[in-house]
Amino acid sequence: MSAPEMPVSPLLAVDDLTVRYGRRTALDHLSLAVPAGSVYALLGRNGAGKSSLVRCLLGEQRPNTGRALLLGRDSWRERASILAEVGVVPEEPDAPPSMNARQISRFCSRLYPSWNEAGVRDRLERFGVPSDVAFGKLSKGQKGQVALALALAFSPRLLILDDPTLGLDAYARKTFFEELIGELADRGTTVFLTTHDLAAVEGIADRVGILSDGKLLLDEGMESLKQRFRRISFPAAAGDTGDTAVPEREIAALAPVAVAARGWGVEAVVSNYDEERFTRTRPAAANRGVEISALTLEEIFIALVGERKGGTK
Amino acid sequence: MQRTLRIDPSDPRPIWRQIEEGVRHLVATGSLGAGAVAPSVRDLAKELQVNPATVSKAYQRLTDAGVLTVKRGEGTFVSDSPPVLTNGKRTELLQEGAVRFAGLARVLGASHEQALKAFDSAWESLQTVAIPDGSGDDESESGEDFE
Repeated sequence: MSAPEMPVSPLLAVDDLTVRYGRRTALDHLSLAVPAGSVYALLGRNGAGKSSLVRCLLGEQRPNTGRALLLGRDSWRERASILAEVGVVPEEPDAPPSMNARQISRFCSRLYPSWNEAGVRDRLERFGVPSDVAFGKLSKGQKGQVALALALAFSPRLLILDDPTLGLDAYARKTFFEELIGELADRGTTVFLTTHDLAAVEGIADRVGILSDGKLLLDEGMESLKQRFRRISFPAAAGDTGDTAVPEREIAALAPVAVAARGWGVEAVVSNYDEERFTRTRPAAANRGVEISALTLEEIFIALVGERKGGTK
Repeated sequence: MQRTLRIDPSDPRPIWRQIEEGVRHLVATGSLGAGAVAPSVRDLAKELQVNPATVSKAYQRLTDAGVLTVKRGEGTFVSDSPPVLTNGKRTELLQEGAVRFAGLARVLGASHEQALKAFDSAWESLQTVAIPDGSGDDESESGEDFE
């Protein structure tokens, strides 16, 4: 972003990772890297392979090929020692159901030399989660918030969040991300998260991966991603000449990643937008009401992987 | 504190530039007066729900440009005398913006006259915001319009 990307050694890396379940390939020779200090958001529809990847990262799943490295170490072989240094918020946070957050925190404090019990208490207070209610009695969202408070308690260099805001209401999501932002500001923690909450990560992530059928459709800095995608709208009727033809050849020449017919014309999404080139070569488009607009991350995602069925929003 | 800085995810400009230009705008219109305390990187990041590194990049550029000043241990402030642009630089920036606007007008198929009219009305609407009527000491201005 600011400077040409420096070869900082990645805190999280996946190299040629393949996971198969019988005949089904969940991850297909996947490689990616998350440099220190960055926030990487992995997006993908359900079934794209996100969970398999997270399981490999956490050493819960042995890959068929390749390896997952956390802090430069193989997460399958050195699972225990690595997880002592990595903060994790799993999709289904788990803890002894009869213990309350305070008891869990006290218990963990004996396992981690740098455990900050007061920090856990403060965070839970900010989240509005009672620390004297048994974990098993908390809502799903509250369990996630407890998991984040615990994950941050030993100031890990690397944080792995698996769809952490799934099931949280708007306010809880906001406080969750505020906490995360505070952590980024204080410590520059490196974060890898999977999420369906595209609007929320849009401002936070500096790098985005989109997983589809076990492969990365895209792995790119947020800024360049947003620079190169544009929606170009072609109204069907060109003035009042009665000519309602859609300029199909013109659209095809743009090599769009998605084309959709709308009531008023056709909308194409291009992934190779270059402002100078477009303004220079398309003066003719001016009088025909052709419109060019930027896309949000969510719109880019949908253009690339298709409309989501039963999306979270 | 002013609460008029916004970022728009569908704005083609990168977020750090939206912040940078937003702060410049607040300073130019007097919403953030000379010597005023600027929100900390951390607070602004939380408020806008963006990565602090992004805010930091915008602040760095604003500091380099002399719009903001960092006082060690105290925080970030609007400079006592925010830089007055040299004529050359102003012309350059104006031209840059004008090309963007003219390009947009042409893409939209607007006439020269329509474009000028749009410009004039935009100019007017900004003028009304820019005049800090009265003493301008409205620290308690409501403006809780962040969601």
